[in-house]
Amino acid sequence: MSAIVSRAPVPAVPTASPSAQRLWPWATLPVLFIVLAASVPLLSDYGLEIAFRLLLLITLAEAWNLLAGYGGLVSLGTASFFGLGAYTLTKLLSDPSDSIILAMLAGGVVAALMALLVSRAVFRLRGLYFTVGTLALAEALRLFMVNYRGLGGASGLFLAVDPPAQREMVWLALGLLAFATLVVTLATATRFSILLRAVRDDEDAANQIGIRPFRIKLIAFLLASTLTGMAGALQALKVGTVEPYGTFGIQWTVAVLSVVIIGGQGLRLGPAVGAVFLVALSELLAEYPALQLALTGAILIGVIRLAPLGLVGLVQRLLARKKGGTR
Amino acid sequence: MWSFDVVANSVASGVLLGGMLALTALGLSISLGVMRLVNLAHGEFLVAGAYLAYYLLQVTGIDPILGLPLVGLALAALAWPLQQWLIAPLSNKGMEAPMMTMFGVSIILQNLYLLMFTADTRAIDTPYAARALHVGPVTVSAIYLIGFAISCVLLVSVHLLVSRTSFGRELRASSADPVAAAAMGVDVKRVHGLTFALGAACAAMGGVLMGTAFSFTPTTGATYLLISFAVVVLGGVGNIFGTLVAGISLGLLQSLAAMVLGDGYRDLVGLVIFLLALALRPQGIVAAKVR
Amino acid sequence: MFKQFKLSAVALGLSALASAPAWSADEIIIGASIPLSGPLAGFGIYEKWGYETAVKDINKAGGITVDGKKMPVRLVIRDDKTDPSVTASNTETLIAREGVVAMLGSCTPALVNAGALVAERRKVPLVTACNPLMAFKAVRKWKYAWTIFFDEEDLASAPFKMMSDYGLSTNKKVAVLADNGPDGFVVGGRLWPQNAKAGGYDVVHTTLFPVDTQQFTSMITQAKAGNADVVLVDAIPPQAIALRKQMASAGLAPKLLVMEKGAEPEMFSQALGKLAEGVLVGGYWDPSFPYPGAADLAKRFASETGQTQSQHIADSHAAAQVLLDAIAAAGKLDREAINTAVAKTNKSYVVGLVKFDADNTSRIPITMMQWQSGKAVVVWPKDRATGKLMFPMPGGGN
Repeated sequence: MSAIVSRAPVPAVPTASPSAQRLWPWATLPVLFIVLAASVPLLSDYGLEIAFRLLLLITLAEAWNLLAGYGGLVSLGTASFFGLGAYTLTKLLSDPSDSIILAMLAGGVVAALMALLVSRAVFRLRGLYFTVGTLALAEALRLFMVNYRGLGGASGLFLAVDPPAQREMVWLALGLLAFATLVVTLATATRFSILLRAVRDDEDAANQIGIRPFRIKLIAFLLASTLTGMAGALQALKVGTVEPYGTFGIQWTVAVLSVVIIGGQGLRLGPAVGAVFLVALSELLAEYPALQLALTGAILIGVIRLAPLGLVGLVQRLLARKKGGTR
Repeated sequence: MWSFDVVANSVASGVLLGGMLALTALGLSISLGVMRLVNLAHGEFLVAGAYLAYYLLQVTGIDPILGLPLVGLALAALAWPLQQWLIAPLSNKGMEAPMMTMFGVSIILQNLYLLMFTADTRAIDTPYAARALHVGPVTVSAIYLIGFAISCVLLVSVHLLVSRTSFGRELRASSADPVAAAAMGVDVKRVHGLTFALGAACAAMGGVLMGTAFSFTPTTGATYLLISFAVVVLGGVGNIFGTLVAGISLGLLQSLAAMVLGDGYRDLVGLVIFLLALALRPQGIVAAKVR
Repeated sequence: MFKQFKLSAVALGLSALASAPAWSADEIIIGASIPLSGPLAGFGIYEKWGYETAVKDINKAGGITVDGKKMPVRLVIRDDKTDPSVTASNTETLIAREGVVAMLGSCTPALVNAGALVAERRKVPLVTACNPLMAFKAVRKWKYAWTIFFDEEDLASAPFKMMSDYGLSTNKKVAVLADNGPDGFVVGGRLWPQNAKAGGYDVVHTTLFPVDTQQFTSMITQAKAGNADVVLVDAIPPQAIALRKQMASAGLAPKLLVMEKGAEPEMFSQALGKLAEGVLVGGYWDPSFPYPGAADLAKRFASETGQTQSQHIADSHAAAQVLLDAIAAAGKLDREAINTAVAKTNKSYVVGLVKFDADNTSRIPITMMQWQSGKAVVVWPKDRATGKLMFPMPGGGN
């Protein structure tokens, strides 16, 4: 099923030769991450707060962009994988010597297992039924967690260990984002992206030419849910407690969706740009959270109507026009 | 294990509640059936009706049940321009764009409610809202019975509207084949707008009933959205009597689940039934037929 | 090239964040994240008044002397919308952006504990009321968080003690309907059944429901079938109001009805009108109590806000005063020093004597209050009572 954009976007990479085109992510991204990691100690407490939120949001957005933007699978079930990752880490970390990285990976694995479990049922649904189905799934899981006392019920669980200091948390988030960037870059720069696009644009036709849509969709789904679960685990580490309303709540889904659509879905830079924009907005309107959300909704509607490829798409269009004008 | 009283009461309240659920789902069904629009702001329309009736009662003293037509008309008047300005221009961009737009609308509405009315829980207070009716061994809430009766009346009315009036004919034609309908002179755009308005009106009226029988907050809409979806999928998209039957069935099943597992599981069971219904359907989008 | 654009934008952003926020060096900033909206808004308004009044009073006296200088106190209040994750993030931002030197807590365990965890980790002292002791202690061994409130054990045993003190005759059957939040779970799930059994009562029905339940039909039907004369409920105000209404419309009319948490604020009585008559709730403060400033506080609240007083003005006022006194005792804006000063608190406030034990808790004794003609009247224990117990409650016992 097509995403909101019915045609694959044309990346506005200009004059570099094809091989250089493929190489520049591998060259610049590691440098970028090293620079960012080195600048962490320079940040104030407030800066570290913002940095963590931003990095986590970009990670989640990259995962959702892969699934919905590139894959056309508009899922409203982000919260369920996020929550599963969060609860997993909280359950696993019982001793200060336990490895945080392993707990995060476990969170990702549990989320992926859930994705695998529901994939057969959920992929039978096309388009909007898929979307509503994922929403129902997320809500059902939340309600289950509220009632199921084995995992704390409505009170939730408390993390038994003390989380690392703020600076370490930001480095962890940066590491997670690096991992997510690696995964998504691989997915979008290799042949997989072509297969994914084919399935997105016309599943039945793809089937006809020998692509196995279910397998392709499943891979995208598993990748996205793993990353989402790991992000959830990290958030649980930060807050120190998990409970169904905050951890499985729809606010995460709304945030991620807004970031990607406003930033530019199906575009490589969409998640990052969207996340920066929304975090800036939320800080500007920190005293008025309801107003901030309402404004986000309005911008969302505006973007869908006027700039379907989001902010990045808008900039691309402007640049292309300028280039066309000077020729 | 359970006494006859308990079972009888559960069945009675379940059926009556189900009738009200059917009304809340009706608007969603019509929108989906005629316009292929997944109105993710459906729950917020419901809550809008509840808030409107609440303040109507406070300011003018008009009884919420008597004020139902007013609330319905008001929401229809608000929904019409919404459809014309936000949805209609997206008619050629596939199904996701309007759906996401309505998602945006739902976010805006939820937060508007928060800003205007605060997050306090409200309930429309009427003298009959807490009265019990005793019919033999069964005790039912008076408001449940009233709500059920009103829901049935409204459902029948909408059915008559769709099957007997000229507007209804245009509606059915637009839903079955918009291109052919346009060729025959039907103003499909106008039909879509009116359909959406009708759906919003039904949602708002359902919301008034829910707000009187129970309570509501700015975010209550989300739960009603999903339960409404369950009713729509079970009853067949666009099928009005199917919606009534599905609503009653779901209400009954939820009530029995609450009896066995506890009230907290009510919504969970509703969602599980929804997911099962979705999963067991044949592949592809259901052919919508407005009957 | 896009990557370059992104790089420079990120660098710009980072440099902006590297600069510390400007803190005023001549005022004492404390913070509080409380539920000003959402299901617990009914408690939030009293907390806000209690906190603000304490700060206003100290500023009227010129402020607190710190490092030799007398400085005013600024209280920054954030709304956490009854969402624990918002309490947590509010607490983070109050500490990181506003630079508060200490915190005051939210209300009810879920919210308070979420904020306290953040404060604990950041080593910021947090004094709170509105957080029962067992729920507080169950989270962890605290160092920087302090609570002034009642113990759930006292709360749970109160109705039974009252019934035996006054020799109330019932069929000795009890139904328990509690939410499954931290305190509801303990009180409804464990303590009430324990106390019932010890008093020779028979618990005919127990339900623990999610905090945001809207429909109570099934549990009411089953409780009715059990024919209990005593119904004990633990739920927050919106749920308590809905439950009371649905009980009435289902014909469940016990002789004694206790509604913990939910029946505390005035909004309960306002929303229910006649249906609130006779409902019992655990209380810990009344203007008539022999504590310094108790009666005056209530009078002040009534004249300033035009609303009926609630016990929550007292515990929050006391918590704020405890913190302010500790800052004064410490004499400097050092969090460790302030924390040590809080630990040494030993003074009578408007809720009685406040002295923290090894678990950072200070216990307030429990009374039973009953809604009568729109007013909350203390009916037990006898030496604190300001009115006579209505038993059975209106319309109850059939």
